Amino acid sequence: MNKTLEFLWHVPFGDFSLRLDPLSVLFLTAIFILVLCAGIYGVGYMRSYQGGKSLGLHIFFYILLALALIVVVTANNVILFLGAWEVLAISVYFLIVFQDEKPSVRRAAFLYLIAAHCGTFCLFLMFFLMAHAAGSMNFDVMAQTNFSPVIAGTIFFLALLGFGVKAGIFPMHIWLPYAHPAAPSHVSALLSGVAIKTGIYGICRILWIIGVLPDWCGYVLLILGIVSGVMGVLYALGQHELKKLLAYHSIENIGIIVLGLGIGLLGRNHQMPFLAVLGFGGALLHVFNHSVFKGLLFLGAGAVIQKTHTGEMDHLGGLAKTMPLVSGLFLIGALAICGLPLLNGFISEFIIFFGLFHGLLGLPLQGAVLCALGILSLALMGALALACFTKVYGTVFLGEPRRPTLPTEMPIKTSPWMIVPMVILAGLCLWVGLNPQPMAGLALGGGKYLIHAAPLSVIDLSEIFIPLSVVVSCTFILILLMAFLAVARWALLRSRPRPISETWNCGFSHVTPRFQYTSSSFARPITDFVKALLLLNRHGGKVSGEFPGKMQISSSVHDASEERMFRPVFLGLTRFSKKLEETRIRYTQIYLMYIFFFLIFLLAWKLK
Amino acid sequence: MIMILSILCHWLIVLLLAPFFIGVIAKVKAFFSGKVGPSVFQPFFDLIKLFNKGAVYSKTTTWIFRAAPMVLLASVLILSLEIPLGVFKAPVQFSGDIFFLAYLLALARFFMIAAALDTGFSMEGMGASREAFFSCLSELALFMNFITLALLAHSLSLSHMIGADIPMSWSHVGPALLLIVASFFIVLLTENYRIPIDDPDTHLELTMIHEVMVLDHSGVDLAYVSYASAIKFLIFSGILVPIIIPFRTGDLVMDMLIFLGGMLGLAVCVGIVESSMARLRLNRVRNFLLIAFALAFFGFIVTMWRG
Repeated sequence: MNKTLEFLWHVPFGDFSLRLDPLSVLFLTAIFILVLCAGIYGVGYMRSYQGGKSLGLHIFFYILLALALIVVVTANNVILFLGAWEVLAISVYFLIVFQDEKPSVRRAAFLYLIAAHCGTFCLFLMFFLMAHAAGSMNFDVMAQTNFSPVIAGTIFFLALLGFGVKAGIFPMHIWLPYAHPAAPSHVSALLSGVAIKTGIYGICRILWIIGVLPDWCGYVLLILGIVSGVMGVLYALGQHELKKLLAYHSIENIGIIVLGLGIGLLGRNHQMPFLAVLGFGGALLHVFNHSVFKGLLFLGAGAVIQKTHTGEMDHLGGLAKTMPLVSGLFLIGALAICGLPLLNGFISEFIIFFGLFHGLLGLPLQGAVLCALGILSLALMGALALACFTKVYGTVFLGEPRRPTLPTEMPIKTSPWMIVPMVILAGLCLWVGLNPQPMAGLALGGGKYLIHAAPLSVIDLSEIFIPLSVVVSCTFILILLMAFLAVARWALLRSRPRPISETWNCGFSHVTPRFQYTSSSFARPITDFVKALLLLNRHGGKVSGEFPGKMQISSSVHDASEERMFRPVFLGLTRFSKKLEETRIRYTQIYLMYIFFFLIFLLAWKLK
Repeated sequence: MIMILSILCHWLIVLLLAPFFIGVIAKVKAFFSGKVGPSVFQPFFDLIKLFNKGAVYSKTTTWIFRAAPMVLLASVLILSLEIPLGVFKAPVQFSGDIFFLAYLLALARFFMIAAALDTGFSMEGMGASREAFFSCLSELALFMNFITLALLAHSLSLSHMIGADIPMSWSHVGPALLLIVASFFIVLLTENYRIPIDDPDTHLELTMIHEVMVLDHSGVDLAYVSYASAIKFLIFSGILVPIIIPFRTGDLVMDMLIFLGGMLGLAVCVGIVESSMARLRLNRVRNFLLIAFALAFFGFIVTMWRG
């Protein structure tokens, strides 16, 4: 499936050519689904802003973003790609900055803009190297070129930097946890669901163009994936703002995807096509799955925030009773992101696990050890994600409200415009979970495409499809069994007393909702365990005196990559430029002289 | 058809055997404290009693609280299909069933933690929080063991990995196996909430993990939870026993008896551990679990080193 669409119109340095191949088809599927769902949702969600703000600009940039996304994943030409990439960056900026009356939003959007352009800078260098080596600006011509190992390695490194910033790979993710919460919820869904995936698409495209990469590239991808995944979920655990937590989970899932790509690359480098297909295919399937369930979760978070006017989890609680539909849909998203059976997250994690174990058994020693590390970290990510989402679900939707509703905060009924897209996304989660063959086939096909397997070359995929089908049948037995147990429970309880009472509170009197575990206390054993990594700050909470009065405790988690890596570097840069400012010369004549000398230099160089 | 029959048979055996071993542990503990103790069939009577009771629900709880016991029991029943029981081969075996095992356990855990938080009280929250933390560490140890076993058996299917059909030779891979057995025993104790991690007999606040999470469940729901705990113990010992037993006679009756003997022995071992040890302090539990991981990790190193 390779279709190229050439336009007569030319962009500078190349043709306006779009190309459809298995890789772009997969990303396009995710883009179409999410753009549509988030758009429908936006109709309902933005109603509360109507009158106050002009929505025209927002809608314009939303459509521009959708177009840019489509062109980015189909462009066959460097210039076209970079142009669309830039349009994407700018339109995302304007979408994030929608609530520009808040300083935090402006700051987040600005941070995003800087990060995006730092990334683009690396991409310019990278594409320059590629075009120089290949002698063409078109991707399909570049793919025919043999790059020397040094050039290939440099290109790969630049791609990791440039696309990694966009994708939010740890430690280049610092814009992401600010930008996602600042944007309106449907934009966050689109950002997390597909916009950051363009970074992954870029890495995949480079992997496709450069057929032979040095060995270390696979290891680097694998390690980056592990670090990104584990750190992402640990930081997520430390958050108490709903959308920020979800943003950190995007970093985790990007980690899982990169881990899969690393396995795929290792397999490709070691001539193990089956392993390569598992790794690439699993990663691509996770791209799709993540965009579906993360989209669902952000839309659900938006519904919660619209109703309660806060994303602070420790103020929420008991929403399952007031918004049962949203809570059910959110639960589906939460189960999917933990990679639990029944839902789509499990399928892609299963394929990646399968690949990791194949690598463990087949790769040479250092590869096998890294695969073992990958298995452990993927298992750890799963367990931590479970802790994190039981925390979210338990504190936001279950229990009792932790704060009485203020009379000024009129509850808004969630509009059907917002419910329908969530139902669609939840349905997709279930569909892929219970019938993985079509999507897994598409993703594994993309995987085959990435290892440049000729369409007819036989890679026996039944080895993965048979376990998947057994998993699915087991899942159906599980559903039947649950139904049976439910009927049995109903039959047993039918004729017996079922009094409704208080929660058994071990004899305490005057139990208030404030007794409940908060999200911070729920996560405390884990955050305490890794507090050195999280830069955990906790103030107060020390009880003193015989009759202690009101106490306060506050805790916050700071991003190590931001505090220890980027802040010192940028502070240093600022100081350096301040120094430069002091030494500047304040006479125009001297500048004119510089220009004159430079012209003479150019003239001399030309005449040489 | 044969498939369905074998699944049903497997479930029948599991359902009949599982509470028995819990009874054995209780009997051993009673013996060590100088009591006669209840009959080994007492867990059955308890279950029957619970099935015949009504249930009290808190007005705070939602459908999650009611659904959790069903999800738990259904998950462990599906899991039990992956476990070979002596001469009865596992009805469900496929390459990669170990992930399915781990993630089904996680599914059940998700719902149990959510149900605990659903009650809206700090005690249950405390248990849920600890459960979430300890399960992270025990999952690490579990997967480390799976990695080593996969390397030893060169397979991804649980039945092959634990040597249910062809026993692993202790003489050849002895050191690694010893480490795995030790580490897996700790995982077994953790996942089944036994001493020294948790005390299954009380829900005092110091031991608040599993028992406090199900504090509000009653009647059929509690019966489902207790049954599921018993089956979970059977599952974990069903994984450990074939690794330990180094030979198969080939005779069906003999093999089955040896397997049952092994299971019984393991239950007695757990009983002895429970009677002879105190529960660890909570902040020590994580070190204990890290020891399990370290043991498994050394097993991995030994295996890699020997090639």
